[in-house]
Amino acid sequence: MKAPYGGSFEAPDGSEHLLGSMQRIDFPMRRRPVTEEVDYVIVGVGSAGGVLLQRLARAGFRVLGIEAGPFWDTERDWVSDEAGSHQLYWEDLRITGGTDPLALGANNSGKGVGGGSVHWAAFTPRFHPSDFEVYTRDGVGADWPISYSDLKPYYELLEREMPVAGPAYYPWGDPHGYPFGPHPMGGVGNTLIDGCSKLGIRVSAGGPVAILSGSRADRPHCIYRGFCIQGCKVGAKASTLITHVPDAIARGAEIRDRCMVSRIEYDRKTNRVTGVSYIDREGREHFQRAKSVIVSGYAIETPRLLLNSACDGYEQGLANSSGVLGRYLMAQAGSVILGRFENLVRMYKAPPAHALTEEFYETDPRRDFARGFAVQTVATLPIAFGKQMMAARGNWGWGLRRVMMDYNHWSAFGLLGEILPWADNRVTLAKEKDQFGLPVAHVTFSLHDNDRKLMRFGTRKTEEIMRAAGAQEVVHEARYAHLVGGARMGSDPASSVVDAFGRSHDIANLFVCDGSILPTQGSANPGLTIQALAARTGDYLIRQGNRIFTSNDRDSIAPPVRHDLSPPDTFTGGVPHYSGATASR
Amino acid sequence: MKSPSDHGNSRRETDQLRPRAPDTGDPLPLTDHPGYYPGFSTLSQQKFWDAATRRKVLERVAHPPPIRFFTPEEEMLMGVIADHLLPQHDRTPESRIPIVPWIDERLFLRHTPGYRFEDMPPDDEAYRLGFDAIQAMAQSSSGHAFVELSWAEQDKLLKSIHDGQPMHGAERIWRRMPVHRFWALLLQDCIEAYYAHPRAWDEVGFGGPAYPRAYMRLENGEPEPWEVDERRYAWDAPEQALSDPAEPEIASHRDLPSQGQGGTH
Repeated sequence: MKAPYGGSFEAPDGSEHLLGSMQRIDFPMRRRPVTEEVDYVIVGVGSAGGVLLQRLARAGFRVLGIEAGPFWDTERDWVSDEAGSHQLYWEDLRITGGTDPLALGANNSGKGVGGGSVHWAAFTPRFHPSDFEVYTRDGVGADWPISYSDLKPYYELLEREMPVAGPAYYPWGDPHGYPFGPHPMGGVGNTLIDGCSKLGIRVSAGGPVAILSGSRADRPHCIYRGFCIQGCKVGAKASTLITHVPDAIARGAEIRDRCMVSRIEYDRKTNRVTGVSYIDREGREHFQRAKSVIVSGYAIETPRLLLNSACDGYEQGLANSSGVLGRYLMAQAGSVILGRFENLVRMYKAPPAHALTEEFYETDPRRDFARGFAVQTVATLPIAFGKQMMAARGNWGWGLRRVMMDYNHWSAFGLLGEILPWADNRVTLAKEKDQFGLPVAHVTFSLHDNDRKLMRFGTRKTEEIMRAAGAQEVVHEARYAHLVGGARMGSDPASSVVDAFGRSHDIANLFVCDGSILPTQGSANPGLTIQALAARTGDYLIRQGNRIFTSNDRDSIAPPVRHDLSPPDTFTGGVPHYSGATASR
Repeated sequence: MKSPSDHGNSRRETDQLRPRAPDTGDPLPLTDHPGYYPGFSTLSQQKFWDAATRRKVLERVAHPPPIRFFTPEEEMLMGVIADHLLPQHDRTPESRIPIVPWIDERLFLRHTPGYRFEDMPPDDEAYRLGFDAIQAMAQSSSGHAFVELSWAEQDKLLKSIHDGQPMHGAERIWRRMPVHRFWALLLQDCIEAYYAHPRAWDEVGFGGPAYPRAYMRLENGEPEPWEVDERRYAWDAPEQALSDPAEPEIASHRDLPSQGQGGTH
């Protein structure tokens, strides 16, 4: 074996030329007594909760985030190791069923400050304008209560706050460019580019992905180590833990980590919520009074908490007079297409997310289904690859050992297809209880005809690209990616849970802000849209001011976009491909 | 680590469990480094890993957890099953990768992957039901306990579970627990244990942890200066093994998910 050269990295202190540990939060966090009422309590400090916490703190509100998982010390707690990273995922029990049951846990659910943005691969495409009017255009799914133009300024803002690296010109949906330059290609990206180019399919290389291609402020650039979904120890990949939470704390926000909210308390006389009950890390129960409650627990835990908060007046679940709470849960068709190449690929290098095509995103009348799909790079590490070979090739025993020895010859693409919202795909409460004695979620998921047709067509097309790239053998594992829906937004209180700003139709001081409010999901990874919606809700709450706390009246007027509430360094640095949040088409 | 199926087998029988050279049919010599990357060692690079990762991986290598969930009989049975699902007869005994202790630990700590299928019992119960089924199938086919069957008979019985068409004898249990879900549970746990080990990384040519040093040769499958080039050799699976068919059973008919797996995007 070749000896290590150049010495070890044992003592990075004082070695300024080395990439050190991620930036630290070296200022104290405000800690309020539990007896003190706050303006806002946010349940879950993940993608949406992290952004919202930062916005509300900047605006001067007394804001508290309660997070079920830990506040990470990334250098101490995270490892470059697949089997050692289970703590990042929500792996508490959930029951999954229906005709096409979803895998949960590491597949789609985060736990700890930063939430899913800690373990996402960080692809950050925007939704297309068509995504906001699926029902009008195709007669399926639902329309959003807002349009693309409502969200566009927030896309532009979050693409700088994260920031996003990608090409200077991105051709699909509403064409735009990215503030940081594209990443260099890895083996998987090259196969996607090869295959698409041979078939005349446009492809985006090097992004869009919320990973730094150049250092910015105290965050170093990507080192291409490939462990994105195990948590980025480098600090190059954006998570709200490093993009928004430090600024939130500096501005007076508090986070109580390892605290599980058990229910939202409701006062029937005023038809308002009064705060939340939670169980702290020592197992003690507390009641936290709040003038307003924002639930940011994502597509399973948000409906679960509201269902577990059923009470006099809302026997079917808090804010569920419509009966829609928990319904219209969605996952995207996320099948992995794997190809074996004669030459080595070594797919563990470079971020899993580094090239994609959205050429098949929109409804095509020549196809026999509505809506479409994207094709993206997916690179898997050995454990995940072994499970894929089990599912895709039926491998076990010596056959498994053999195909694993060929690990470095394989490339992997991900289909990302739009599955439509269906009322019978839903979260309910199971009879099983968790470690706190709270009923766990029961998730029911079944594909419908359009979904099946889309999945088959998308799988065939992705296989075609893999073969065009030169793969000798192409197989696939059918699976899903991401979760959204379950507390959808809409204009009609009879068919949705919250309004266009995430305010529950039933209770004026109860909000939902996370992926669960999405009425449809497009074929784009949801992370950017979730954070953009959070920034928009933040602007709305700030504009409303104290009226949220004192009145049950509603005001649906969109607030002006605040460009002065971003974290420090948002508008500095980067490759100057992009002139800022201005151009409107 | 001593492999349970080595117990009581003659030298000749264990030779027959080793992969063979295609030209001569002779068993390949035992090795502490199977795979196509001779001399590659991820552990030799540990000084370049961050402290938390180094601690985690070295602890895994040095101290597999004690058996706390399985009874001694179950431990033995699980060991034999793992020898078929992830056979290691090509490895020297001291280079074999422990599998059973990690499955035992997960079941002892009642750690779930974050979900349970509604048609499945809890994982600890599923394992014991599955063991009962395997014993019942062995008794029904031969009148012996599973561990007393020949290696070939054991492989045949397990392949029938893999195929979703279990041999006669445990129909009552498979009505309570879908056979394909039990197979996936078992094999995923074995994969999770084996490919978490640095010696498995060396076998497949995976570079392993790379923070804070970084990878810098990202394209064309090129090795880092500290990695090695591939050097392939041909080998055949042991003659008795049913798990390495010439043509893989590609599940192309399976367009829709049949079982979940963890986090790729």
